[in-house]
Amino acid sequence: MTRAGAAGGGFAAGLAQSLPIVMGYLPIAFAFGIAARGIGLSGSEAVALSVIIYSGGAQFVALALIGSGAPFLVSALTLIGMGLRHLLYGPTLMRHAGPAPGRRLAWAWAWGLTDEVFATALGALARGRKFTEPYMLGLGVGAYGAWVAGTAAGALAGDGALAGYPAIEAGLGFMLTALFLALLLSILSRAQLPVLAVASAATVAVTLLWSGTAGILAGMLAGAAAGLLPRVRGGGNAA
Amino acid sequence: MRPEIIALAFAVGACNWAFRYFPTRARLHELSPRSRLARLLAATGPAAIGTLFVASALPLARAATDAASLALIAGVGAVIAVFALGRSVVGATLAGAVAYGLVIWVEGWLVGA
Repeated sequence: MTRAGAAGGGFAAGLAQSLPIVMGYLPIAFAFGIAARGIGLSGSEAVALSVIIYSGGAQFVALALIGSGAPFLVSALTLIGMGLRHLLYGPTLMRHAGPAPGRRLAWAWAWGLTDEVFATALGALARGRKFTEPYMLGLGVGAYGAWVAGTAAGALAGDGALAGYPAIEAGLGFMLTALFLALLLSILSRAQLPVLAVASAATVAVTLLWSGTAGILAGMLAGAAAGLLPRVRGGGNAA
Repeated sequence: MRPEIIALAFAVGACNWAFRYFPTRARLHELSPRSRLARLLAATGPAAIGTLFVASALPLARAATDAASLALIAGVGAVIAVFALGRSVVGATLAGAVAYGLVIWVEGWLVGA
């Protein structure tokens, strides 16, 4: 998106900006739908998990917990703990949204603040887009619709639906990595390099030593804490 | 639908909504940019995006077959090149996915030939 493209901030603009997220979510949600059927969930149960939980990582872990017969309380606490990182997203977004940002519809658009929607919105704000609630709704609706639709398609298709198309499956599987890298490039500045270095190192170390979920939480917290270090001169803090 | 599955979904979904919504009610704009909380929140965005990139790339890097490594290099290279040329997040993302899939397709074709 260019600066010129930052002028419109409505629902349609948000929906259009959700395209990379949609392309990334469809195959992952499709895979979730297939996996859910694989552990014995019905198609409607698989879709219900996507509609009600709407968190990819937690949903895949939910399948493992349900499939292994874990107790309700253990499953619930594990999955709730996985969502704790989202506590950081609202304040960070509102901090970059300018004075007196709209919050009337926050109860609706905040539901869509997944990792990818948060990162896309923050990148857009860093590149000069004005924060509006319709934009956030458009971004969220596109991503949520893709997640639910992908799950339904996967649940309907059943096992091995993309087995004959490994290149397409691989390309779609790389979409979210490509999106995060592009967003990273769009907000990159010299002043943020220490933050990124600390976040990356913590993510790798904790992922290798413990788990992917713990690695994400550790990376975000360590990187944010690195922001408290004395500033390097000559850089802005775009995001 | 089994009630225990739906109950679990609602318990987790309600907490996810609360984690995402209630923090947006915080009044933060009057914070001084030099305050510790403002600096912490300013760093959270880049830290989160950097973390998510590393977390999503790490499993691909660890897979480490020749084809996967080459595809990862091609995908990352395409994202950087297209972003540098056009400053477009959408274009760079799609180019990265196409490059990644293309390398996997070529590798598969060469193995099959």
